[in-house]
Amino acid sequence: MKGKRTYRSKMRILADMMRAIQGEGENGAGPTKILYTANLSHDRLTQYLEELAEKELIILTDSESNSRVYALTEKGRAFLKEFVRVERISEAFGIEV
Amino acid sequence: MQEQIATLIRLDLLFETIGGIISLMVAYYATKAFNLTGQKRLSDLSTGFLVLAAGLFSHVGGTWYFFVRLGIEGELNPDLTRLIVLVTVVYHLLRMMAYVLFVVSTRRSVRTKHPEMLMLLALPVLIDANLEVLTIFILLVVVLQAFMNYAVIRSRYALYVLTGFSMFLLSHLFLILAGDNVGTYLLSQGFQLLGFISFLVMLYKAGRE
Repeated sequence: MKGKRTYRSKMRILADMMRAIQGEGENGAGPTKILYTANLSHDRLTQYLEELAEKELIILTDSESNSRVYALTEKGRAFLKEFVRVERISEAFGIEV
Repeated sequence: MQEQIATLIRLDLLFETIGGIISLMVAYYATKAFNLTGQKRLSDLSTGFLVLAAGLFSHVGGTWYFFVRLGIEGELNPDLTRLIVLVTVVYHLLRMMAYVLFVVSTRRSVRTKHPEMLMLLALPVLIDANLEVLTIFILLVVVLQAFMNYAVIRSRYALYVLTGFSMFLLSHLFLILAGDNVGTYLLSQGFQLLGFISFLVMLYKAGRE
């Protein structure tokens, strides 16, 4: 059981978005799925998707206007793996990231 | 017989060296986590393990120098006594500083002037019983915080941390009870090593599973 979170760091929000994308497998995830899974407002979603793409952590696989789909890049997968490790270690010491 | 006891007790040098290395590894991962997340408490945790490693290595260095290289036994001259007291106090202060940093970083939400500091000098080790008592109280808070964290998140990684700090606490309790008993002293060192191994397993599993 996870403790109640009152604040999510930006890094955690980005990681939650990437987890949402990873959860959809090879096909990637659309903005709506990411928005609901990562529990974000639309404005923040757009801002953070751009940031993740700029950092080459995600890639837009289908750029048709009505069906945008994002997938994790190799760099994104490596980052998420590292973040999960950091998250486990931090939480083991009672430190939320 | 005396030589065998000396060899046995010098296992503490090996145990504490391993503990120091594991401490540095935890500090490395905590720093990495801090760089990734910017969470200040991870920086405090890293500093805590760095200070703990410094304490362990200073103890190993001091013990080796005084009791192995110089081969000190029996009566000591005043200059050497002062130096041993200094190294012992530095060791205890570093450990206490590390535990205070653990209290600060894992929270939810005296220097004594007695000349008779080397109360456990019946054994050739650098330990002061008065400072040990203070250390135990600080560590008790660390263990309670680790327990509360485990009770809340129920993760196996938190359990490894709770086990690690609990082993440290047991180690200090046995240390203060050791007196001139080599077996109890080694048991204390064994618990400390188990504590560090618990942290090492946590680091390993967090990256594997």
